Amino acid sequence: MGRLAESNRVRHMCNYSERDRASMGERVALELDLVKGFRFFDPHIHMVSRTTDDYQAMADAGVVAVIEPAFWVGQPRTGIDTFRDYYSSLIGWERFRASQFGIRHFCTIGLNSREANNEALAEAVMELLPFFIYKEGVVGIGEIGFDDQTAAEEKYYRLQLELAKEAALPVQVHTPHRDKTKGTSRSMDIALEHGLDPGKVIIDHNTEETVKEVLDKGFWAAFTIYPFTKMGNERMVEIVKQYGPERILVNSAADWGISDPLAVPKTAALMVKSGISKEVIEQVCFKNAVAAFGQSGQLDESMLAEHIVIDQGQKFEGNSILRGGQQPRRDAGSIIIS
Amino acid sequence: MKDVEADLQDQITRYLSNQEWNDLTDQVNRLANDPQPNTLARVFTGVPRTIRSADAGLRITFDGAVSVGSGRLPLLIKDWPLARLIRVWVLMNIPKLELSAYISLIERLFQYGEMEELAALYAALPIYHYPTEWRFRCTEGVRSNMAPVRRAVILNNSYPSHFLDEGAWNQLVLKAFFTDEDIVQIIGLKTRNNGKLAGALVDYAYELYAAKRNINPFLWILVAPFLDERAYRLMEQIIQESQQTLTRKAIAYAFETGNFVPATDFITRNSELTDLKNTAGTPWDGWLNQTE
Repeated sequence: MGRLAESNRVRHMCNYSERDRASMGERVALELDLVKGFRFFDPHIHMVSRTTDDYQAMADAGVVAVIEPAFWVGQPRTGIDTFRDYYSSLIGWERFRASQFGIRHFCTIGLNSREANNEALAEAVMELLPFFIYKEGVVGIGEIGFDDQTAAEEKYYRLQLELAKEAALPVQVHTPHRDKTKGTSRSMDIALEHGLDPGKVIIDHNTEETVKEVLDKGFWAAFTIYPFTKMGNERMVEIVKQYGPERILVNSAADWGISDPLAVPKTAALMVKSGISKEVIEQVCFKNAVAAFGQSGQLDESMLAEHIVIDQGQKFEGNSILRGGQQPRRDAGSIIIS
Repeated sequence: MKDVEADLQDQITRYLSNQEWNDLTDQVNRLANDPQPNTLARVFTGVPRTIRSADAGLRITFDGAVSVGSGRLPLLIKDWPLARLIRVWVLMNIPKLELSAYISLIERLFQYGEMEELAALYAALPIYHYPTEWRFRCTEGVRSNMAPVRRAVILNNSYPSHFLDEGAWNQLVLKAFFTDEDIVQIIGLKTRNNGKLAGALVDYAYELYAAKRNINPFLWILVAPFLDERAYRLMEQIIQESQQTLTRKAIAYAFETGNFVPATDFITRNSELTDLKNTAGTPWDGWLNQTE
């Protein structure tokens, strides 16, 4: 288990410096043929940091919906206005950008653990949150939880759990990179202490070390797939074989660091190769995300079955996603929903 | 005013359960009596939650402009989701507070708006009190990169033609061409058409022509009253090269009505183009008779 624990440490997103380049191995190509006809839902991905090429590749690989949790932007924010603009972008521009590729974009809104440590700012953010959490397409409070496991982090984690309860929203919990196992247990204990239904709490960035306790306690267990090595995907396959598909979610947590926005379809491809049934793959790569975050009342399967009309030509302008002279991608086979 | 209110209410009630309608009117009455920012934000954002029984795919269109009382410009309700209609109705029910209180109350909604909320807020520009105070906000809407938001300002909105200065107005029209919008739906365009706009449109046409891209024929209708040598040179070329009837018709119309001698001579010389002068069935046919 020692080696496994070692690689676990570098496996979790949201902290660039902790990703060990040497352990990432070679980029794994997506074998598209293996996942033809699948629909994927990536319930944790930071699209504000990704390019339109990523959106295109995701759409081509069958990703039809994403959830973008509010998080740290790579360096500390210094004022409340940048928080507001960031949250606004998650319910505005990013949602529109995704729709241009036929991808439905949802988000979770919250104060991330790292920035909870700046208490003056954290107070102001807490006042801001009620303006965003009731918006259309906001499917939870997230990603919140522990990083250094400080007193301030705990304070704002608790306050946001109360907020989630009040708004009847699911919670997306980021678990810490360091002292992970304890941090994960503590995150769950606190949620239970506040009277949250574990069935409405998604514990993210799980490992082999944490998954059993998370599932035993009735929480959802999400797994972030490490980008370029087969290791991440293969371990995920083993976890699904061992624990089955109930309450297990797969995500990429792709962000501004080295990460892979195709992690979900790539993992699915590997599952196909490993002989895991289509039903099981659909459950962990699509349906469980809908079930978990659908509890917000903001998302259901029929909504995802609707085909988004892609007509980038409609929005053609110098400052839009298409730049001068580019040919818009039109979806000739689409049905207009009105 | 009462009748129009009743008319909008009638439309809204048609799609809601009694319970939903009661909840909504309770909220709006509370708001009318005590317009607190937090209450407004809650009511405005919560509209989709209040109307859960309604079909989310529903789109509502009213024939013609809907007058909403003295001191307010008419609303043009075309293809609106029900939530947008309700949100605009909620905004109409905010009492006319003192100027700075009123502005900051509504500006706050803009600051925190998601995409569909923003579309409703911009669609409501005609009904806000203190209409001259919303000019900058209107230009911000035109600058929006989110198509549904931008469209709520540019199309079927009576505010911009009444309140934007020429520079901002021309940007609105140019943006509509750039984003491939249906030009007929820009309210007040015939009245606010101007020489500077025509000049910019001709520049744009040259650019498109050089890139071998399509030119929206409506562009020539706006250029018509300001036809000059530079415009004529390009249009003469295009009317001869183009295979598209609408393009040829638009240019023939511009030549015929444009009061530029070489253009009228061209039409006289080429009698085979006479048919093109008939505007029946073109997008600009009804538009040319508009008085607003």
